[in-house]
Amino acid sequence: MKKVTKTMEPYLFMLPCFLMLFIFIFLPLIQNFINSFYDFNAFSPTRTFVGFDNFRILLRDKVIVTALTNNIRYAIISVIFQVFVGLILAAILEDNIFRKVAPFFRVVYFMPVVISISVICLLFSFIYHPQIGLLNNFLKLIGLGSLAKPWLGLSSSAPYAVIAVSQWQSIGYIMILFIVAMQKIPKELYEAAEIDGASKLRQFFSVTIPQVREMIFVTTLITITGSMLVFNEPYILTKGGGPGTSSITMAVHMYQSGFFRDRMGYASALAIIIFAITAILAVIQLQLFKSGKED
Amino acid sequence: MLKIKNKRSYKNKLGAGGSILFIILVIYAIIILYPLFWMVMSSMKSYGEIYNSVWNLPEKWLFTNYLEAWDKGISNYFINSVIVTVSTITGVLIIGSLCAYALSRYKSRGINIALIACMTGMMVNPQVALIPLYLLLQKLGIHNTRLALILPYIALRLPLSVLLIRSYFLGIPKEIEESARMDGCSSFGIYSRIFMPMSKPILFTTVVLTAFYAWNEFLFAIIFIDSDRLKTIPSGLMNFRDALQTEWGVLLAGMVISALPMIILLMVLQKHLVRGMSEGSIKG
Amino acid sequence: MKRFLLIIVSIAMIVSLTACGGSTNQGNSGSSDTENKVVINFFHRWPNEPRNTYFNEIISEFEELNPHVKINVDRVLNDPYKEKIRVLIASEDLPHIFTSWSDSFAENIVSSGKVKDVNYLFEDDKEWASNIMKSQLRAFTFDNKVYGVPFTIDGKAFFYNKDIFLEHGIEVPKTFEDFIGSLEKLKNEGYETPLIEGLSDAWAISHYMGTIFQRVLDPEILDKDYNPQTGEFTHPDYITALNAFKTLTDYMGDVATAIDHETARNMFANGEVPVMYMQFAEIKMVEDIGNVSLGFFDFPPFEEGKGNPTALTGAPEGFMLGKNAPKEAEEFLKFIVSKENAYKFTKVTGQLTAVEGAVTPSSASNHSLEAYDIILKASQTVPWFDNAVNISIADAFMRGGQSMAIGEMTAEDVLKRVQEEAATLRK
Repeated sequence: MKKVTKTMEPYLFMLPCFLMLFIFIFLPLIQNFINSFYDFNAFSPTRTFVGFDNFRILLRDKVIVTALTNNIRYAIISVIFQVFVGLILAAILEDNIFRKVAPFFRVVYFMPVVISISVICLLFSFIYHPQIGLLNNFLKLIGLGSLAKPWLGLSSSAPYAVIAVSQWQSIGYIMILFIVAMQKIPKELYEAAEIDGASKLRQFFSVTIPQVREMIFVTTLITITGSMLVFNEPYILTKGGGPGTSSITMAVHMYQSGFFRDRMGYASALAIIIFAITAILAVIQLQLFKSGKED
Repeated sequence: MLKIKNKRSYKNKLGAGGSILFIILVIYAIIILYPLFWMVMSSMKSYGEIYNSVWNLPEKWLFTNYLEAWDKGISNYFINSVIVTVSTITGVLIIGSLCAYALSRYKSRGINIALIACMTGMMVNPQVALIPLYLLLQKLGIHNTRLALILPYIALRLPLSVLLIRSYFLGIPKEIEESARMDGCSSFGIYSRIFMPMSKPILFTTVVLTAFYAWNEFLFAIIFIDSDRLKTIPSGLMNFRDALQTEWGVLLAGMVISALPMIILLMVLQKHLVRGMSEGSIKG
Repeated sequence: MKRFLLIIVSIAMIVSLTACGGSTNQGNSGSSDTENKVVINFFHRWPNEPRNTYFNEIISEFEELNPHVKINVDRVLNDPYKEKIRVLIASEDLPHIFTSWSDSFAENIVSSGKVKDVNYLFEDDKEWASNIMKSQLRAFTFDNKVYGVPFTIDGKAFFYNKDIFLEHGIEVPKTFEDFIGSLEKLKNEGYETPLIEGLSDAWAISHYMGTIFQRVLDPEILDKDYNPQTGEFTHPDYITALNAFKTLTDYMGDVATAIDHETARNMFANGEVPVMYMQFAEIKMVEDIGNVSLGFFDFPPFEEGKGNPTALTGAPEGFMLGKNAPKEAEEFLKFIVSKENAYKFTKVTGQLTAVEGAVTPSSASNHSLEAYDIILKASQTVPWFDNAVNISIADAFMRGGQSMAIGEMTAEDVLKRVQEEAATLRK
């Protein structure tokens, strides 16, 4: 009896977790695959089996190209700003010379993370506002008035204006993850490096980076995956990816196809694309970093 | 004043490189703080003043904007957000740490599979689950209740939380566990009396990350909840903006009220959150 | 192990506690004051003031008169309303009473089979029915059955600033070509954007397109194309029409795609912009902001146009009842659309209604009365474009319109996309 409980024990610990994951994540995921082979909308309960029709439409859909391009822009910019800058900021703040001021900066940088996305988007709609816009006014103030433009109204600037908001919000989040990781680095490693006469920069490369390798993996994963899923910012700031479709993302395209244009089946097919991309990325990254400590 | 003083006393220690770094830190802090400062200032202005004098401080401080915002609906969204956020955190902490414990302390093929399942779970995103989840919630009869947000929130937060907590649990020396077992501690006892207290830092991190998520979540919030009465802040603010039209001051006041509790929570928690980690049970 | 179970139980308790908190808001069960009450779920699309407050007051008035009734209200604006009502119709919790646009939007909702046919309301209460304009019922009639009670009536026209027109000697244009001339003149006289619109609002674009199509194209072609089963959108006149839209957006400047309709309206109301295409429902909002001397003119006809040159774009909006609506919901509907309350509605919001005798000099401003006259005298009314065609077609035109405004797409590109959508629908 005792033996049975012994082997069952870990599974009992995991039971509630996997129950939740199964019902609310894996089951809908499977359901989504099934849905993508049907044509159905919110109006009628009838579903027609259409085979691969939805996927055939995918190939012709030009909006997907724009959406994917924007998602990739998001990913590249986010990795640079969030992972790269976040790591450097964390390293600076963790350095002894900033010990006294670090708590202040940490709180400030983390602040946007805890502010609701709709507050931030509404705030930036004031910042980008063509009339009262803080950004345009600021540019005029420092003599760069010629750069002022209706940021969210031009296809050339709208995607970047939207992406910038995400950076403003999220750098602090990634930074704090690095700080947590860095504080687990044994101080002796730095002391030893110092004795060897390594400079601060050298210490950063030879001690800090190897020690937070797993966190670099985790944060890169989070940012890229997050970039493939962006929804809120274009949904609020450019009213669903405008002007035209210039700032649309895959998630917004999926949402609009399903809930706005009544093509739930097609939306499910789009959802599969999003899933496939994020899954492939995850596998690539796992290979690259060979991180996980699991045997 | 304080800042200038700090700067001076640092200058000697910092050196040229350090000073440049410090200036970079300050500039970035301004980029973060100024828009927030502007939001607070403008929340006490009238429409005309926001429109005509963007940079100035309010001529007349309209604190009434705050009362109006609170009365016109923010209070309601606020309470909903608190309920949803607290419930989500509780669920994630309990369920997540139990699972992380099993994943970090046991070894078997089943555990490996579970770990992979967990990582896969992290890959599954809300967008993919959106339509089926919506249909599922309706079948369960909890669509348009707070549970329609809480349960999916918990589920979606679990994979990342489990992995974070697990990686922290892995760092707890085996010897502590072994000696506790010799003292007759059960597995659950080790979890609740040793692992959990020793892991406060990562648990705090989990709390903050989950709070941030539940407070911010937008996609589910606009689709799974229809009633204005049950809306959380992110989706409620959209209604609020539509309702107010040109009363920008009141809208901004509503935005400040929405943002404030999390900022306060951050300031309170921050001591525990980061510096507290090195003082936790794991040293070196 | 016991403690382990305890944890599981406590999780379940937390979950069920919050569940209770949520479900009381569902209606009939739970808190004491909703016990034994008939609950009506009411969903409207006016979360904005002053209409939101107006409806809240109507609700509490009705609840006071009928103490056994509890009305749960929910409200979402415009575009999100369209999405939401679709979703609600698909689900089992369709609201008991809700607002609906007319024509194909209403037809779509009716086709779900979940909306009550309300003919009997008109037959059972002749006195109440006699106050509702018969002409407005057509927009809610499908297969000879009436599915909605019209409430507001509206029309779209160019609002212009009389002072500015006078100052620069500009006449109200007789044709579209005249209109372009006037805009050009205004531009030369220093109005950088003589015309404005918030093009980030998709529906604002659809209003333009709907009217331009109506004016330019042969009505028979439109009939065929607006029907999803036969729509092709291949006639070359569409190119002419889209280019006309593009010409207009060229006078709106760069800002147009970055702002919403409301910001644009404020610019007009502050006298910054001389002309804007608006709904009569907005008269009061313009009056409340600024002090411009307001004039209206209908969308001018095209010299080569094949459509009725005096048709007015604008359609009624009304209320529908869900299949499961209780008797009390009917009474509530009749309460809202009563002469007395419609009068109050016009007085508070400035919006015109389909209820006879509700729009009078004491409830409406002179501008509104002028608008009322235009609506009643219109030779023909044309439904809003985004309600007249399938949403995918409308979306292709609306997004395309934005892309044309910023120079990303040509009229031909837009039409090609529309044709693709039409092909998908015809299947």
